[in-house]
Amino acid sequence: MVNAAGQLFTIEGVAAGLIMLLTAYIIVGTTSLYTPGDTHISDMQLEQLGNDALHMMNTPNTSAAASIETPLAYIIRTNDTEQFGQQFLWFCNNTTGGTNDNIQFSADIYYRNNATNSVNHYHLSESRIPSGGEQSMRVTEWVLVDNNLFIGANMPAEVDNRYQEVLVEVLLWRN
Amino acid sequence: MAQLNDDAQWVVLMGFIVSFALFFLAIVVSQSTVVGQTTAEAVLEFPKNDILNLRSEVLSASKLLFSDNLTRVQMDISSIALSRKSAIVSFKVAPALPGSPYTKTIDIHYNNGVTAYNETTLF
Repeated sequence: MVNAAGQLFTIEGVAAGLIMLLTAYIIVGTTSLYTPGDTHISDMQLEQLGNDALHMMNTPNTSAAASIETPLAYIIRTNDTEQFGQQFLWFCNNTTGGTNDNIQFSADIYYRNNATNSVNHYHLSESRIPSGGEQSMRVTEWVLVDNNLFIGANMPAEVDNRYQEVLVEVLLWRN
Repeated sequence: MAQLNDDAQWVVLMGFIVSFALFFLAIVVSQSTVVGQTTAEAVLEFPKNDILNLRSEVLSASKLLFSDNLTRVQMDISSIALSRKSAIVSFKVAPALPGSPYTKTIDIHYNNGVTAYNETTLF
């Protein structure tokens, strides 16, 4: 049979426990932030992945000389849109095992017109046209391009024919 | 009402212990999501890749180009960085001091309103 003695102590103990819990909750709560959701974690990983992929493409294949053109600079100079898509997706979508990742991209080039000192852009290539509803990240890479005609430059006609710094902007998202 | 008796103290004690244990477990669980989020936000906010990329481009451009070509590239970087990256960027290439074993002095300045980066380098 249940012993009903000492109930007053029990009630007092419960009340004291509640008060202490409340105190501890307030004290701890003042120093920590409670924010729901964690979408930024995957954003951060996607951004780092895109930056790494672009940086790999913008690294010369040899350390022979400082003037060696990087694969990315070559792609931009010759406007080889297909090669850009292949290389970029190859770097982004490869996994160490199992099925490949499913990252899509859309890339633009920003350049400066020296005569008017204005910044313009043209579209480089995309794997899929963005609808606007994607959770996309923007990654960029500075590229030094030698757009001089005598070495076979094939950038769009409105881009100056000179050594110049262009900015590759890539939107990438998982699909 | 009967007089106070001191039975059932073990029940009270166990109640305390269990409630405190649950409380601290709940704190641990709730913090685990916050840790990942604040870390990710801090990484997104800090323009590490921008600065590393800019620095490597500035160094290779200053190695490769001279006079007018270099000036135009400087203006390319400043203009595009301002319009596309919301960052004020400038760099200056000057000859190294006489007697120095280096050939050039390069000053790089970067400020995007959150992070400022300034560097003077020799090569």
